[in-house]
Amino acid sequence: MVDTRQRILGATYACVARWGLSKTTVEDAAREAGLSRATVYRYFPGGREELIHDVVTWELMRFFGRLYEAVQGAESLEAVMERGIRFAHRSIVEHEVLQRVLQTEPEMLLPTLTIESNRVRQGIAEFLLPYLLRHGMAEGVDPGRAADFLARMVLSYISSPGRWDLDDPGEVRELVRSELLAGVVVGPEPRAGGGGEVPPALDDET
Amino acid sequence: MEPAPGARDLNERDEQAAGASATGADRVSPHRVRIVDAALACLALGGTTKTTVDDIARQAGLSRATVYRVFAGGRDEILGAVVDTELGRLFAALGARMGAADDLGEVLAVGVCEAVTRIDRHPALRYLVEHEPATVLGHLAFDASNRLLAAATGFVAPFLVRWMDPDEACRVAEWATRIVLSYTISPSPETDLTDIDDARRLVGTFVLPGIRALRAPDRSAPIALGPFAAGDEPGPSPTTRRRSARRQGVTGPARRLPSSHTPPHTNRPQGETS
Repeated sequence: MVDTRQRILGATYACVARWGLSKTTVEDAAREAGLSRATVYRYFPGGREELIHDVVTWELMRFFGRLYEAVQGAESLEAVMERGIRFAHRSIVEHEVLQRVLQTEPEMLLPTLTIESNRVRQGIAEFLLPYLLRHGMAEGVDPGRAADFLARMVLSYISSPGRWDLDDPGEVRELVRSELLAGVVVGPEPRAGGGGEVPPALDDET
Repeated sequence: MEPAPGARDLNERDEQAAGASATGADRVSPHRVRIVDAALACLALGGTTKTTVDDIARQAGLSRATVYRVFAGGRDEILGAVVDTELGRLFAALGARMGAADDLGEVLAVGVCEAVTRIDRHPALRYLVEHEPATVLGHLAFDASNRLLAAATGFVAPFLVRWMDPDEACRVAEWATRIVLSYTISPSPETDLTDIDDARRLVGTFVLPGIRALRAPDRSAPIALGPFAAGDEPGPSPTTRRRSARRQGVTGPARRLPSSHTPPHTNRPQGETS
């Protein structure tokens, strides 16, 4: 069952998709959710501002939930990163609400996204860390720092690809191999499983 | 109108020189730098929301009419000029530091360190980040960031061509720019890139191995996916076009990451100082 808070956020998101962040009001969200204004204020005492902030983080978490699902089953560190970058890039480009807000009212979104990016970065780093440890670190590289560096770079590439064509699997593979993993994990020599596979016993959460 | 980025004539002390060279026909007014610097001072105190053309004129010691004669577009045009000028100054400072280093790792480390330090200590930028973050962040995310990456890449790449071909230099320059942006927008408690030793460590640990990997045949890939599996010859697939273009000239036996001695040739970029 969707709880009331989720229901309000879902309704707010529908309003934002229709009217944008700055034009969505508490009344709109309440009407969309089929609830009273008083109920919305009970869950979001900060009113419109809190609602808008929370709907941004809510969609951000949903985005990373989808990303997490997309990389499930990837067997190696390289595969996780390649799949994740391609999926995230495509999702951002195809995210209609995000793209419209970026076009018309970026000032409503970017401060929240930037603040949240710290939490997002930590999430990505924590997710990558076990893959790094299983893969084997390059000599003298601290796994925590490496995971943080990778998370920073991944965020940079997926939001602003620059010279990279992230729709091209070959380019993504080269990006991961060179700018992302070359200094982080053990060298490019062919490995026992071929292609740097993660030992299967450790990849059983799928 | 603006001097090319990296041209070293954007410093305050060059203002007089710029004024002296300005003939009646020049489009660049001698007041331009003065107005830009006045606007910078105002921004550091009140951000964009509280800064008016009157404030800027007062700070510059000029009349409102004079300010409008130089910047007919008023406040918005002045703010645009502030961004251009400050980027030019940042690039000039980077040029001086990077041009003086003669080892690839050191060029990257001093460049990253100088950029992060200057951005971190920039008074107007600090005010804006704190009080009106959206003004700054609009330039640092998504498509706007792509433009910034391209501008910085175009400036930094010439400092790297002593060690690599131009395409590879662009790629590494963009990478270094990403690092600067990430660590300025979200400082790390563990890695302080305003500290040259931290910058050297980061470059040495993560960046130089990545540059080496660009040149090494990709042996980690499963054979079926490896466009270079049959040797070093790029496959014909269109997806490898850019890669093969990058590879031209970097796979020859003579090309190696240099150690810390003399660069192969001294095609020194502008901005070098001694």
